[in-house]
Amino acid sequence: MDLIKGFRTTFKHVLQEPVTIQYPEQEKPFQERFKGRHELKRYDNGLEKCIGCSLCAAACPADAIWVEASENTDEERYSPGERYAKTYEINMLRCIFCGYCEDACPTEAIVLTQEHRLSFTNRRDAIYTKDMLIVPPPEGTEGSPQQVEPGKFNRPIPDMENPK
Amino acid sequence: MSIHDEKYAKRIEATFAKYPDKRSAVMPLLYIAQEEYGWVSPEGIEEVAQYCDMDPTQVKSIAGFYTMYSEQPKGKYWLQVCNDLPCALRGADEFHKQLKEYLNVEEGGTTADGMFTVEHVMCLAACDKAPMLQCNFHFVENLDMEKMKAQIEQWRAEAKAEKK
Amino acid sequence: MVTNITKTVTIYIDDVSYQVPAGANLVDAAKALGNDIPVFCYHPKMSPVGMCRMCLVELGSIEKDRATGEVVLDDKGQPKVRWFPKLQTACTTNVSDGMTVRTNTKQVDQARENVVEFLLTSHPLDCPVCDKGGECPLQNLTMEHGPGKTRMNFADKMHLDKHVPLGDLIFLDEERCIQCARCIRFQDEVAGDDVLAFHERGRSLQIITNSEPGFDSYFSGNTTDICPVGALTTADFRFGARPWELTNVPSICPQCPVGCNTSLSTRLDRDAGGRAIIKRVMPRQNEQVNEIWICDKGRFGHHFSRGADRLQIPMTGNAPASLTRALQVAADKLKAAGSDVAVIAGSSMSNEDLWALKQLANGLGSERLGAWPPTHAGADLVAQVGVGKGTNLSALGKGDAVLIIASDLEEEAPVWRLRINQARKRGAIVVVANARKTQMDEFASETATFEYGEAPKFMADIEASDLGKKLAAANNLIILTGADGLTLVESRALMQSAANFLIKTGHIGKANNGLMSAFPGSNAMGLYYMGFTPEATLDIAQKPPKVLIVAQSDLIADDPSVGEWLTKVETIISLTLFNDALAGLATVALPIQSFAERDGTFVNGERRVQRFYTAQGPIGEATPAWQVAGRIGELLGQGKVKLSAAAVMLDITKSVPAFEGARYKELAHVEPQFPMIQKDVYYGGTAYENTGGLGVQIPTAADQGETLNVGEVFVPETPKVGKGKMLIIPTQVLYNRERTFQSSELMHPRVADPYAEINSADAKRLNINNGDMVEIAIAGASAIRVRAQVDGRAPKGAVILPRHLATNAVPLTATVGSISKVGQAAVVEG
Repeated sequence: MDLIKGFRTTFKHVLQEPVTIQYPEQEKPFQERFKGRHELKRYDNGLEKCIGCSLCAAACPADAIWVEASENTDEERYSPGERYAKTYEINMLRCIFCGYCEDACPTEAIVLTQEHRLSFTNRRDAIYTKDMLIVPPPEGTEGSPQQVEPGKFNRPIPDMENPK
Repeated sequence: MSIHDEKYAKRIEATFAKYPDKRSAVMPLLYIAQEEYGWVSPEGIEEVAQYCDMDPTQVKSIAGFYTMYSEQPKGKYWLQVCNDLPCALRGADEFHKQLKEYLNVEEGGTTADGMFTVEHVMCLAACDKAPMLQCNFHFVENLDMEKMKAQIEQWRAEAKAEKK
Repeated sequence: MVTNITKTVTIYIDDVSYQVPAGANLVDAAKALGNDIPVFCYHPKMSPVGMCRMCLVELGSIEKDRATGEVVLDDKGQPKVRWFPKLQTACTTNVSDGMTVRTNTKQVDQARENVVEFLLTSHPLDCPVCDKGGECPLQNLTMEHGPGKTRMNFADKMHLDKHVPLGDLIFLDEERCIQCARCIRFQDEVAGDDVLAFHERGRSLQIITNSEPGFDSYFSGNTTDICPVGALTTADFRFGARPWELTNVPSICPQCPVGCNTSLSTRLDRDAGGRAIIKRVMPRQNEQVNEIWICDKGRFGHHFSRGADRLQIPMTGNAPASLTRALQVAADKLKAAGSDVAVIAGSSMSNEDLWALKQLANGLGSERLGAWPPTHAGADLVAQVGVGKGTNLSALGKGDAVLIIASDLEEEAPVWRLRINQARKRGAIVVVANARKTQMDEFASETATFEYGEAPKFMADIEASDLGKKLAAANNLIILTGADGLTLVESRALMQSAANFLIKTGHIGKANNGLMSAFPGSNAMGLYYMGFTPEATLDIAQKPPKVLIVAQSDLIADDPSVGEWLTKVETIISLTLFNDALAGLATVALPIQSFAERDGTFVNGERRVQRFYTAQGPIGEATPAWQVAGRIGELLGQGKVKLSAAAVMLDITKSVPAFEGARYKELAHVEPQFPMIQKDVYYGGTAYENTGGLGVQIPTAADQGETLNVGEVFVPETPKVGKGKMLIIPTQVLYNRERTFQSSELMHPRVADPYAEINSADAKRLNINNGDMVEIAIAGASAIRVRAQVDGRAPKGAVILPRHLATNAVPLTATVGSISKVGQAAVVEG
């Protein structure tokens, strides 16, 4: 009797669709709010959103973010306002992907994407630098730094909506 | 051009005689500087500072605080229209607007020929004779545009005559 | 201020009675009692103005019957309080008996909330990019008292210029300014350089400077500390790091004899290979030494510690070598020389270094220990009749006197100048005596002049003069000497005469009385206590030894005459910070660590032993100088090298009586100070609370009642200036091209082009106009080309030639030379 019971389970599963996904040929979609690798965003004109304020580093519970700031000029402008991130590094081995950095960011510069395939063969490679984190400039823009007309981007945080 | 000029020597001496210390003479001396240069110029500030034994910064501060001192070059005739409430009730606002249109200048601007500067001021205590203005600290009262046009022509003629 | 007030009154704060010193400021008094009344414009070091209205409190006084003076009681038998109808500003109120204050009522809370809200109407939402963010009084008080929500429209905020340079060092963000006038009042009341002011009014009110160069003050950096918002920021630290990321290490400024307590804010830096580097220098409170101020040289002159010209690896014969090998070569050379060895040590070396060098020399049988630069004599007299233990320049006031003789204190020790100027404002007599006109004349209540070379005579004869009588009669008298235009012998004579005058008039052996001197470097007194003298340096120059150890002294850049005798030295062992000309000449050049990379102690001009701590990461293979000397000693069989600076100091305390009680632990002792600089940055500014130690002041011989030996005063003859010759007077300017300042690139625009001041009469005679290029020829030195400055400051027959401005070295002390317009032979009058 137990034998029949056991085989019934076996045969039931034989007829079902397999749950295995043939990764990497096949990929399973993630939840929309999945938190993976970070990206530093840009504005439409190619300027960096990051202003080097270091609030992400302050919010980071794992102390994984390292920011060094420097000063923008109109001849060599990286981001709106006076300050930009000269160095921006995230140690992916330390990062716990909590997303606090995203919450802390006043300019919505840092965003956690769905990218989860992070592999390194060396501890040093786990440190993602600014070049790796920043998204490529939108098509038709020169990215950063760029020469801009004086006085146009003198505020670090572009126009904001009033609080509701 | 300088307030060290011989013609001011007596006045400056008399001014200093009036006050217990040099510092107190700064305002009368700024008037002299304004008379000499047509406005309180950086040179004027420097000279007054020397006379009063003050730092030029402090002299500039005083020149900035009081509206009787102009830190911008002015036209030959400096027209200050009062458009405080009582004057405005008697049409000073409209008069001010028309005057600017007639002379083709912005608020605080000077005509291309360097003759007139128009700006508005706070109460000049001549509400009963509004619309009125102050030309180089002399009152011109009970105005309307017709009268004003005539007056402007007169000034232009005077200036021309002076030139010759 | 609360000091020296013994009478107390009873006040009631929030219904609790307290005894407080009569006449104290209410904010200060409440602060001391643990009740923080928030302020923006009030600062405990400046007079109150009541501009910001943040300190509003309910104020009243206990009602007394006019006729009887009895306290009026209400129905419940409690004293009746007569309240002011409206809130009052606490900062403009001094406490009086029966004063009743309420700081915790709804009305007060509401007022605070409203003031913050009002200030924020025009304040930008810049906190993420603002250098002050994280240590910002406005931020902190908004969190504490501000409204949680805004009623304002963000788009309606005032937009003004965010990048206004006030000179080369300080930037103004007009939007952020809350118009408290702390910076303006600091410049006027404290610094004494009245170069900031308000311009316009109402919403257009802005801070301006109209001086040339902009914000022309040696104390400009302090305004950024006391600014309660991020309106004033320094060019040095602009966007350098966020305050919470910094590690603050207590240190001592290595630039001058004041010995300002500083705090080095360090952070790891990618560009420095991930090592900790100094991001900014902040003042650290020491009310006896620098209060909460430092000068701009101290604040912005730290870059030499990471300069590109630092010597990073040991060199032997101009080729890189391993440290072991270099030390061995040095030891071999010293061994071969026997006792024919001498040491010249710089005046900014730490006591530990000096002690180790002394041990090394003594171990070899040599007592020839020279101090560099040999300009100021008489450190032994400061040790005997220096300012008494417990001296505090802030205690000087009415009835006291300070004589500043032969010193341009503004250029030589700015913070002393600041504090003495404040003493003058409190009523002290400040006499400035010098042969030339200097900036100091502005800060004097009286001036006196003498001819060059006559300073010792002036001092010796002062007793008989009216001035001397006035000084003698002062309650407290400090004589502060310099060596402006003096030779070493004259400098000694001046110090002796000053000491004699002080002894005769009884102004010794007690606090706020005695002798001070604007010695070069930060540890000239340490040099003396360790046995290094300038006289020995001259002796070394006279009779060069076989092996000379030169430690942290830029001989070639400082003195054109060293070339003469340096070639006679067989072997030079150079312990140096920099890869300089001397390192090139040396048989062995050993890299040593700067003040920022190691522990150590300095003795300041008031003989206070003060300790500094390791702040930044090591550079190259540099090691502390005491270790270098100790390891050479070890190779020579002089015993094991000490393991730490603390161990060296322990050795010093056992062997040098003056240092008894100056062990590291004792040097690190702190006591509460007024005003209380704590985490609440709104009260005293961002100057740091002292956690590293207040230091220990070495008592003078007079303090301890020992017999004094001033020595016989030898007043040398004034040197005869030949026909057609001029007296060349080397002087000190604060901003110069010394190696220890040259790396601070932001200061370059403020360093003057090489110039020489000459008298208008001389200029006329020599056909020199203001701004002409002139050449100054001095025997035994290469010609010095500078611009002539005919500004009415130099006395007749003298050329005032600042040191370390021109590329060629300027003589150390006054000498005779000629001056001529370039392209024209020196005019020799027949």
